[in-house]
Amino acid sequence: MRLSVFFLFFFVAQAFSTSTYSQQKLLTLKMQGAKVIDVLNKIESESEFFFLFNQKLLDVDRQVNIVVKNESIGNILSEIFGKTNVTYLIKDRQIILTTATSGIGSDQRQQQLVKGKVTDQSGASLPGVSVVVKGTTSGVITDADGNYSVSNIPANATLQFSFVGMKSQEINVGTKSVINVVLMEETIGLEEIVAIGYGTQYKKTITGAVSTVKGEKLAVANTANFTNSLAGRLPGLVTVTRSGAPGADDATLRIRGNNTLNNNNPLIVVDGIANRSMGRLNANDIESVIILKDASAAIYGAQAANGVILITTKRGTTGKLKITASYNQGFSTPTILPEMADSYTYATMMNEMDSYAGQKGRFTADDLQKFKDGSDPWGHPNTDWFKEVFKPFSLENNANVNLSGGTESVKYFVSIGTRFQDAMYRNSGSNYSQVDFRSNIDGKVSENINFSIDLAGRQENRNLPAITDQPPFRIIPRGRPSDVSWWPGGLPGPEVESGQNPVVMVSDIPGYNKDTRYIMESNLKLNINIPWVKGLSVTGNASIDKNFGVEKTWQVPYYLYTWDKLTLDEKGLPKVNGSKSGPSDPMLEMSMDNGQRVTLNALINYERRIAEKHKIKILAGSESSVGDNMTFSALRKYFVSSTIDQLFAGSDLEKDNSGSANRTARLNYFGRVNYDYSSKYLAEFVWRYDGSYIFPEDKRWGFFPGFSLGWVASEENFWKGNLPFINYFKVRGSWGQTGNDRISEFQYISTYSFGGTIGNGMNGNEFVTDQNVQNKVLVENSFPNVNVTWEVANQTDVGFDAQLFGGKLRLEGDYFHNYRTKILTKRNASIPASTGLKLPPENIGEVVNKGFELVIGYSDKSRDFGYNVSVNGSYAKNMIKFWDETPGIPEYQRTTGHPMNSELYYESIGIFRDQAAVDAYPHWVGARPGDVIFKDVNEDGKITALDMVRDYRSNIPVFTTGLNVDLTYKNFYATVFVQGAFGKMRYHNVESGEAGNFYMEDAEGRWTIDNPDATKPRTFNYTAEYWKSQLNTYMLRSADYLRLKNVEIGYNFPKSINTKLGIDGFRVYVGGLNIITWCPTLPSFDPESTYQDYPLSKVINLGATLTF
Amino acid sequence: MTSCKSDMLELQPLDAYSDAAVWKDPVLAELFVNNIYMRVNYPGNKFAITCFVDEAHRRDGNDELNFNNSKISPDLISKDWFSSSGNYFWTWDQLYISIRACNKFFANIDNLPVDNTLIDGVTMKSRMIGEITFLRAYFYYCLTSLYGGVPLVTKAYELTDDFMTPRNTYKECVEFISNECDKAAGFLPLTYSGNNKGRITKGTALTLKSRILIYAASDLYNTTVFPSFANPELIGYVDKTASARSARYLAAKNAAKDVMNLAVYNLHKASPASTDDIAQNIDEIFNSYVTTEDIWVRYYTPTSFTVDRYWDALVLPNGYYNQGNNAPMDNLVREYELRDGTAFDWNNPVHKAAPYKNRDPRFYATILYEGVKWRPRYASLLPFDPVGVIQVGTWQKWNSTTNAMYEVYGLDSRKGQNSAFEASYTGYYVRKHCDINIDANFFVNDKPWRLMRYAEVLLNYAEACQALGQDEEALTYINMIRKRAGMPDVTESGQALRDRIRHEKRIEMSFEDQRFFDVRRWVIGPQAYVAAYKVDVLYPLLPDKTTAIVPTFTPKVHQTYKWIDKAYFWPIMRAEMNKNKLLIQNPDYL
Repeated sequence: MRLSVFFLFFFVAQAFSTSTYSQQKLLTLKMQGAKVIDVLNKIESESEFFFLFNQKLLDVDRQVNIVVKNESIGNILSEIFGKTNVTYLIKDRQIILTTATSGIGSDQRQQQLVKGKVTDQSGASLPGVSVVVKGTTSGVITDADGNYSVSNIPANATLQFSFVGMKSQEINVGTKSVINVVLMEETIGLEEIVAIGYGTQYKKTITGAVSTVKGEKLAVANTANFTNSLAGRLPGLVTVTRSGAPGADDATLRIRGNNTLNNNNPLIVVDGIANRSMGRLNANDIESVIILKDASAAIYGAQAANGVILITTKRGTTGKLKITASYNQGFSTPTILPEMADSYTYATMMNEMDSYAGQKGRFTADDLQKFKDGSDPWGHPNTDWFKEVFKPFSLENNANVNLSGGTESVKYFVSIGTRFQDAMYRNSGSNYSQVDFRSNIDGKVSENINFSIDLAGRQENRNLPAITDQPPFRIIPRGRPSDVSWWPGGLPGPEVESGQNPVVMVSDIPGYNKDTRYIMESNLKLNINIPWVKGLSVTGNASIDKNFGVEKTWQVPYYLYTWDKLTLDEKGLPKVNGSKSGPSDPMLEMSMDNGQRVTLNALINYERRIAEKHKIKILAGSESSVGDNMTFSALRKYFVSSTIDQLFAGSDLEKDNSGSANRTARLNYFGRVNYDYSSKYLAEFVWRYDGSYIFPEDKRWGFFPGFSLGWVASEENFWKGNLPFINYFKVRGSWGQTGNDRISEFQYISTYSFGGTIGNGMNGNEFVTDQNVQNKVLVENSFPNVNVTWEVANQTDVGFDAQLFGGKLRLEGDYFHNYRTKILTKRNASIPASTGLKLPPENIGEVVNKGFELVIGYSDKSRDFGYNVSVNGSYAKNMIKFWDETPGIPEYQRTTGHPMNSELYYESIGIFRDQAAVDAYPHWVGARPGDVIFKDVNEDGKITALDMVRDYRSNIPVFTTGLNVDLTYKNFYATVFVQGAFGKMRYHNVESGEAGNFYMEDAEGRWTIDNPDATKPRTFNYTAEYWKSQLNTYMLRSADYLRLKNVEIGYNFPKSINTKLGIDGFRVYVGGLNIITWCPTLPSFDPESTYQDYPLSKVINLGATLTF
Repeated sequence: MTSCKSDMLELQPLDAYSDAAVWKDPVLAELFVNNIYMRVNYPGNKFAITCFVDEAHRRDGNDELNFNNSKISPDLISKDWFSSSGNYFWTWDQLYISIRACNKFFANIDNLPVDNTLIDGVTMKSRMIGEITFLRAYFYYCLTSLYGGVPLVTKAYELTDDFMTPRNTYKECVEFISNECDKAAGFLPLTYSGNNKGRITKGTALTLKSRILIYAASDLYNTTVFPSFANPELIGYVDKTASARSARYLAAKNAAKDVMNLAVYNLHKASPASTDDIAQNIDEIFNSYVTTEDIWVRYYTPTSFTVDRYWDALVLPNGYYNQGNNAPMDNLVREYELRDGTAFDWNNPVHKAAPYKNRDPRFYATILYEGVKWRPRYASLLPFDPVGVIQVGTWQKWNSTTNAMYEVYGLDSRKGQNSAFEASYTGYYVRKHCDINIDANFFVNDKPWRLMRYAEVLLNYAEACQALGQDEEALTYINMIRKRAGMPDVTESGQALRDRIRHEKRIEMSFEDQRFFDVRRWVIGPQAYVAAYKVDVLYPLLPDKTTAIVPTFTPKVHQTYKWIDKAYFWPIMRAEMNKNKLLIQNPDYL
């Protein structure tokens, strides 16, 4: 009987039920020559009885004949076990089978009998605990009251008490005859082994600041993009998802916030290979995700300054073939869509706008009335463009099958998955789909030689509208509600601007953009234990990753239709006229890219325990990585027909092609030494000597060390005596230096490139000297900096890990201080522009980033109910310590000494209620009643740029938090995950007035002549108002939010049903992603977006997982 | 191992040429010269300097509005200011980057191996030296015209150099530019054959000399506009005596004459036949691939721009799916005389009733206005305009069903159907350099942009002659331009003649980046920066409930402007002042 932890847990809980089921339930069985185990299974499936026993002690394969009709359980058991040494104890539905006396030891001189009671920490008795004499198969199982008794115990025997979910205990019997045992709950996580870069380590002896999350937790989120499942899961990791567009929804990832003025992206390592991509991984393949937050990342040297994300995929384990199949169906809608003004409100506001411009309103009273009452749907429509463009919901799904299992010599994990995510637009071919596979094979050639072969691949298909330069979320809110989206007969309505009509822009009418990418990742690993040196092993890795992509953009002319509002056709419907938009004739652009990266490494591991208490682990290795990439593109215009969308069919006129290439190379040496004294005193030293092609020859190599120390205080005797309720307490500290080479390459060489786009759509690569005579152009790139070198991250971290009450309460805390030096930044502020130098960045910037992380978790269970609650919070605030800031600006505008990425804003201090108010306060030229009042900060009686004040918020939050609650009740489980981010901002950047519709939040409560005390300004026209064109705090909105990120409620089918179905497990669930977002300051936008971006998806998921 | 590892990490970029490669191959060096040509700003791209003076209005330009209200300051002007308006290469930073590129050329050109085995390398090298000499002078002309005297940097700085440089005097800058033009002329050919017509010639260099010298002789640099400024040498001549000034005018006159004496340029259709459509002749100056009037032109191809980012698409009306930028102000429109040479006057009821009738032919070649025929509309707009005429007006109509008046707005008006927010505020659009035969919504007009043309030389010459008291000579040349335009001769003398010459230049050279500088050097800021005028066009409802066929025109102030004398010169950005302690700020800027 394969009792899972989960089932056992519930079964035990049920033992306390008090009904007299056992006396009433009658069973009918007819089994000839059946194994005992099958009979017991049969009973379980036909009744509510369940058995507890130790399989080692019971001969379950013995064949019995049992034919009974309407017999009580007692009689049936008596029939089965009557002639054996098995005794049974029926406690309501629970039946404990135990051997009256256990096996006979070799030494029969001692006939000692030991009995006692096993309880948990709370004193509750624990039935079903296995009590075994160490080194023998003799043993018993505790009864319903937790009592046991073992006889025939040899001298100096040791009893092992074990129970699933509890920490095993061994007790020397000695001369005792009564041994009462308190079993402690397994302290969660401490025995966990985590990947730490070129190796693994027990979590309890780790000295660096790392956070980890299991793959299953992330799979629950069912996000289309793997990066989005990480939000709030890992303390210290900040994720911001700017756009939810299918295929383009990678989150921005920051470990401990921003640390540099340059690239802040962490290094991503998948199965030991650096710089692989992460967003499109299949969550079902993921074993765990670990982030290295401090100097422990130094083993990754020059790429580790922004932290490292280590992802480990699943591998096979010994056992029979296990097949898991899962399917998830999601129904997604945007988390939020802006509420736009209806046509009546829009027309009213347009008239206000005209009147402010000294003109008569463009809409008559009659127009307004018709907009209001909807009596003239074609002439005076009320179009909700978001509704016209968006489906009520769109579908996404993913299906996954994986096989795992293996023998001692070969283990395997093989999976195949598909994913489909439809865009939210109607009439669109926009979507994302993916097919992926993974095969991780581990082999054992001999006792000392192991190998593994990993192969993973995927195809990513992105289908987008042809015209992507104007994102739909910019053009939709610009749609006028007074325009028609589709005319009768299905012809599209007029443009908003430049031939763009929202319903057409998101459709495939203007053509299409198809981007297909192929990724193949492989790794071959060979591990040899050197037999003649104990503890020494060598490992070699060879990995080739390839990527290949083809993108095709096909644009065709299309027609938009307008109506003169007069002419009707014979049916009395508007007779409309079309005009051509898009290119004059079909055009096709195709591009492809092809790249690969080869990573080779060799590791030597030595592990030795000296005099029992000293444990030393040494790693040394070398790694090289070379990559190359190329692109090729071709363009043809003026296709005579849109029938064939292939290059050959285009005209020779203005045809074009281009291409590019680049190469990378890195070589490095690294190592790690761990010292562990009794798992009490821990020390670690890691280093990397890193060489990168990015730097000049004499600056090419850098040394990056990291030290850390740990003290497991709870292992000290004084602690055990005085603070027993804190069963685990570790303090740790680290310091180290890492580098950041994520900067532009070849900054040390003086180079010239062909010109490119100069700006404003002008082709800078074409100097024309006569009609149709084009000449190439060579531009001097920025001035070389022959001294360019890495940024250096000086990272300090102190932290602690603690577990209380036997692990029920878990605490983790970290304080960090990151001091980034040698940041590449330009000396713009001290070198005059009159030198004409295009300045290279120099290693002069310094940024300090400080903060903390805290995790508190509590888990417990009682009876049918189990729960696990954890809260984490991360705070990181950076400060520019030095960069070349222009001297002479006022203190309140300075950036030095303040957080990065800040902006200057005029301070809004209200709305001019009337002309008197305008006259009474310094104001912008042309300010009028209803305008935003800018504060005269320097009190010089004028509003000038010197009145701008810095706001130090950016779109990266300062504080992020996650609350995770897992509940179990009988066969049900629920997971709730809430995530929040604070200290971030969003600028209210909207295009209204003559450029587009008004947002309802700007319309409601706005200043009008009749509403002079409004807190919102008057109707505005695009950027015409100074408070629309100048950054100001009225438009600056807090983007703090809390989000009910995931919910999942599921049900595991009971074993009885599974057995009948012949399966191992079946789970169904209903879940949701981004269900509720609380962000009162942003009524129109998703708080993670920065511009008019595609919002995140709110998804309802239904799914099932089947295990064979 | 060591050798292995250094080999492995020693990569070269695959997308760029090294310094060494460029300066040993004349062909690559020529491409570098081409790059410097690309850094010459010209109005073909986006919004012109024209929006910073009383010529045109930019519909949503806050920079322009601030500027035209004299709100310019060392803080308000940022690195990108002016360039955000599309005048990308007209800023201090960009001009000095251009100058550095020239200096870089001079630092390397002597080492460039040239021979005649494969190409005519010797001629090419000489030509390139002439080109870069001219271009550097041109960039200094730009700086000097905006700022007065600026630091004359003639070396290519290295990172380790001392960067502090004081401003040179205005006089030194003018002399430098003038001398460099002469020097360049010595290297340059008179004309090019074949594929090099877009390059500069001897005539180009001499025309720049003519331009800088007529500027230098003007009021701004020869009268005392800023009496309390401690460093007058930075913003003009210290020697303001009449004789010194006469010498300056004489130099300007001679410089113009030098161009005329080259005898390669003529006005296009200088003597129109009586059957000629003169507006058509004028249009040809800007919509031909080549004319005899061209001194320096910038060619395009259809791929020089993305379709919606070149002059025609930028300036033509929204009703033609274009963007309505650089809208002509009524300030300019009212300056076009009647065909008989009399001034137009809105207060004259006859003029007001039919303002666009019988005007200077250049008006019709330059401005699009209510009712003028342009291209046919797209099918969707045919119901509103079957003919294809510009509609900026409003039609009041009677709805007999509801017994109420309603209004219909012109397709090209601020309330038109297509992209009304891209419509002109002034009631006018630019026609100059727009080709009526090209649908700018889909196709690029690849006729070259005229950076310098012969008419300017004649105007400079006339201006210098008049200032020297040689009215007859001045009249001869100004009337050449009038004649070509089909306008009667000017006969005035003295100050009146001066004003006629100034007026003639405003009309002849509109939208060619002249007015901005002329307003400054003539010290007429207070007259120029009063307001942006527009015209409202209304087809009123008549008492009989029909709509008038003939509209009424009402000139109005659209935006008020404000002038403060400090705006004669631009402020040097605060940041630049802070970085270079030797700089002295222009007058009246704090």
